[in-house]
Amino acid sequence: MSAARSSFWPGGAAGTVLRIVASRLVQAVLTALVLASLCFAFVQALPGDAALRIAAARSGDDRVTAESVARVREQEGLDRPLLAQYASWIGRLAQGDLGHSLVSRQPVWRELAEHGRFTLGLGALGWLLSYAIALPLGIACGFRPGGWLDRGTNALAVALASMPSFLVGIGLISLFALTLRWLPPAGFRTGAHMVLPALTLALGLAAFSVRIIRNAVVEVRGAFYMTFARIRGRSAGAAFLHHGVRNAAIPVATFAALQFAYVVDGFVVVETLFNYPGLGDLLVKSLLARDVPMVMGAGMVVGLMYAAVNLLADLVCIGLDPRRLAGRDA
Amino acid sequence: MTLALTHPPARIRRPLVAPLLLLGGLAALVVIGPLVIPHDPAAQDLVRTLEGPSAQHWFGTDHLGRDIAARLVHGGVRSLGIAVACVGFATGVGVALGLLAAYAGRVADIAIMRLADLMLAFPGILLALLISGFLGGGVLPMLIGIKLALWPQFARMARAIAIGELAQPHVEAARLAGFSALTILRRHVLPPVLRQTVTLATLGLGAAIMSISSLGFLGLGLQPPTPEWGAMISELLPYLAEAPVQMAAPCLAIFLAVLGATLLGQALAEPPTMPEEM
Amino acid sequence: MTAPALVLAGLTIRDRSGTALVADIDLTLASGSVLLLIGETGSGKSLIAQAVMGLLPAGFSASGSIAINGHAPVEASQAGLLRLLWSRETLLLPQEPRAALDPTMRIAPQLWDAGARDGTARHGEAGHGLTTQEALAAVDLPPRVSRAFPAELSGGMAQRVLVAFALVGRAPLVVADEPTKGLDAARVAQSAALLASLGGAGRALLVITHDVALARALGGQLAVLRDGRIVEQGPADTVFAAPDHPYTRAWLAADPSTWRPCLRCCDLEAPVLSAHGLSFGFSRAEPLFSGVDVHIPPGGILGLTGRSGCGKTTLGNILLGLQPPSAGAVNWQGVDPYRDRTGARRLRQRYQKLHQDPASVFLPGRSFARQFADLAEVVPGLVLDDALPPLLERLRLDRKLLARRPGEVSGGEAQRLALARILLLKPALIVADEPTSRLDPLVQREAIALLAEIVAGESLGLVLISHDRALLAATADEVLDIGAGEGTTTLPGFARGLQGA
Repeated sequence: MSAARSSFWPGGAAGTVLRIVASRLVQAVLTALVLASLCFAFVQALPGDAALRIAAARSGDDRVTAESVARVREQEGLDRPLLAQYASWIGRLAQGDLGHSLVSRQPVWRELAEHGRFTLGLGALGWLLSYAIALPLGIACGFRPGGWLDRGTNALAVALASMPSFLVGIGLISLFALTLRWLPPAGFRTGAHMVLPALTLALGLAAFSVRIIRNAVVEVRGAFYMTFARIRGRSAGAAFLHHGVRNAAIPVATFAALQFAYVVDGFVVVETLFNYPGLGDLLVKSLLARDVPMVMGAGMVVGLMYAAVNLLADLVCIGLDPRRLAGRDA
Repeated sequence: MTLALTHPPARIRRPLVAPLLLLGGLAALVVIGPLVIPHDPAAQDLVRTLEGPSAQHWFGTDHLGRDIAARLVHGGVRSLGIAVACVGFATGVGVALGLLAAYAGRVADIAIMRLADLMLAFPGILLALLISGFLGGGVLPMLIGIKLALWPQFARMARAIAIGELAQPHVEAARLAGFSALTILRRHVLPPVLRQTVTLATLGLGAAIMSISSLGFLGLGLQPPTPEWGAMISELLPYLAEAPVQMAAPCLAIFLAVLGATLLGQALAEPPTMPEEM
Repeated sequence: MTAPALVLAGLTIRDRSGTALVADIDLTLASGSVLLLIGETGSGKSLIAQAVMGLLPAGFSASGSIAINGHAPVEASQAGLLRLLWSRETLLLPQEPRAALDPTMRIAPQLWDAGARDGTARHGEAGHGLTTQEALAAVDLPPRVSRAFPAELSGGMAQRVLVAFALVGRAPLVVADEPTKGLDAARVAQSAALLASLGGAGRALLVITHDVALARALGGQLAVLRDGRIVEQGPADTVFAAPDHPYTRAWLAADPSTWRPCLRCCDLEAPVLSAHGLSFGFSRAEPLFSGVDVHIPPGGILGLTGRSGCGKTTLGNILLGLQPPSAGAVNWQGVDPYRDRTGARRLRQRYQKLHQDPASVFLPGRSFARQFADLAEVVPGLVLDDALPPLLERLRLDRKLLARRPGEVSGGEAQRLALARILLLKPALIVADEPTSRLDPLVQREAIALLAEIVAGESLGLVLISHDRALLAATADEVLDIGAGEGTTTLPGFARGLQGA
């Protein structure tokens, strides 16, 4: 009861928003810390002399001398105790120094920016496309639950959800690129190159979101406040517009953020499949080449993006569902 | 409402039949296959590369002349076996930690749940990707990576159900009657946790199969020439136009395995028509 | 004279299997007056409300005719036609008032909905010339409610909001379905006044209820429904004063306010439970109660009451050794359960609880027979084959019920099975937490009589927790009102005897 009373005052609202932002911030920092520790542990676990490896990476295998190895050892503090090395590793990261790629010798952040551009474009297009498919379909199914469209969509969604994204992609390539020859199978130069990767992502996303949207619509349409709005004189359409849409949007928005987890699986695989030079492609290539700074950078960007998307979804849900400001469960 | 005094004998519910047959059939193929198919999955025959299906090679041969059917069944042992192992470990660890969180007081609860949150902060297969990638792609790294990604779900579920059950009047009544904490755990808390675990584990099986094949496809899973469904697809990708049947075989295998697990999970998730006796 | 607000002729409602749940209902509700339809759960009274609104659940079919506000009679099966009358001619006050409100919208914009359609409302005005604030004030709600979300309202407040909807709407016929469901006894009078205010505003009211207190307070015409048929109807005053039908008489006699209190003599010197100076509060908050003294002799019944949230259930748990008090001591026949662990373990089974939802004390999915058999594990020397049959007979329970599982028996049966379970533990004291609040009045009366009989026969102590003061006044030897200001009010009973001793 006391919660109900205090929620009349707006003072609690700012506090709730602040608490959400803080918790997502903690999530981001912790993710970064775990990634950094993982990478540090990996570097330590590599067989052989770390100083020798770095020297070789810097000057080329054939030009390594005992002197240069000793210099690297001193410069990088590799002769210090492990804990001190770990502290300085984390310290450098905290200052935003991600280091250089061992392969391309470019600063990590520059590579990330370059590849991130491609991924953002692909991700945004895939996400938009998925809702362009799932929203009308899900709403249509929700208005006729159990009808032929609903059952057909459900079967298709279960089938799509049972395929890793590379299967969906291979299916699309076989159909549109190899059989119909409408679209190029791989590459990144023109807009046409974007269509198949984006569609692959979108279908994988829509397979899940279409059910969420459909269920939200079914539930809202069955809710008594919709009937009651009609008892009070609204038409069915007006009741849905005024009371249905907002209530149905809440679970859908929450789910949209969770789906980002799928997007990560999706774009790592889809970019590799379509040879598309985004973050996922970079991450996989760096992993295969043991390019630790690059892997750490890419992993962090993905982790931070996940935290940011979750934060955005939290805030959208607050906007849609003011009950949450009161700190109550919806 | 009509009340049945006697209950019909337990029988398998209809929605369970198709997915059980699907999964059982796949498992049987994978187990019996190596005995029936005479080919060595690693034996190359560079004269007969990318051949279509024939009496000798049922699904044709790949770019190195290896028999697809043999690679399919040998790969299946690994894909499905590792998936089952991952889910088994994740279930055990997750349920145990979840119950511990529900029982062992505030500090343990917060510690375990924060750890679970941290694991869930890594989206999708990112963690498995990193561990598998760093440790050089073998069975063990994959096992660790996928298990780490799966256990928090089980822990959260077990904790939520245990806490919910502990607050039930029937637990309070059992306490008042003097039943021991262990009896209450065994009789009142574990059965609902385990029922839900079966459902979640089945769905997790599908997710694990997808993760394993995705890692294989990316070249970060099992290393060639070990046959694995995802890796097979990745190897055949350049020959997609020439070898559609060879490609379709592992694709279909993955699809059917995940579909079976998904449908089984969905069927189990439906409210049971009759409660089980423990 | 204006046409009647509602005329039902030969209304029959059948379920999917064709069984008539409501048969041949003929009722007339004069314009601007009140018609009460009372009956117990399952008598079909809510179905009648749903039929009038054209809201019968799928699978149900209705026949007969319904005439509303002087319009031509409509065939009851024509739900679509009845729905056309919504808002202009009919309005429903549903059972669950909160479910009728959009959870994501503040109250004020929802209130405007009603008038907005007929164009009479301007901004800040809810129709019928009332502003939002005036409409809220008319149902005794503070102005801040207009900015609240439904989840912030209590059930009673939500109901007031719905009545405000009826006030700003123009429907001359209002159907109220169980308006006091889930409300404290103290709020029933407020609810009656609220409904009466609608009548004062010229609306005709069809009130569906099982609450005799509400029916008495509202007055008007009364129809008693049993098994889907009207067994008696007439002016409420007449029916209450001189009930004609035996069912009506039994029904009215089941109302606790008509019971005769029974005072018994009990052994005050050897209480089964006593407690001194109990207080309880969550840290930092004001304590829920403090300085509570309890003294229960064998065969004595202590009533515990107070408004919802006052800590009745918590006090019961403290007495049972389930929840340590913030201060004070509990005494179980010389043992403090919070300090003497071994003593508490020895006496554990002798202090038992009868829960509000009796079926919930049984493990779902396990037959009653097996759950009774389980008790042998913790009760040394319990031979079920000897102990159970006489107990079942005494509680008027059929042996066949034991083969069933929780959820497969009626509420009254579950209550008696729960009682049998406790009695097998040979208790010295039972705390019964709202044991009958989910039972129909007739079943409630039977259950309470049985409980009192067992308490007297076995010389048990009973703590009866209830919000129904009339019930306690009729049953308990002493009533403790928690949260009634400083200290507690004690009705005459054994405590007074104790002071005298």
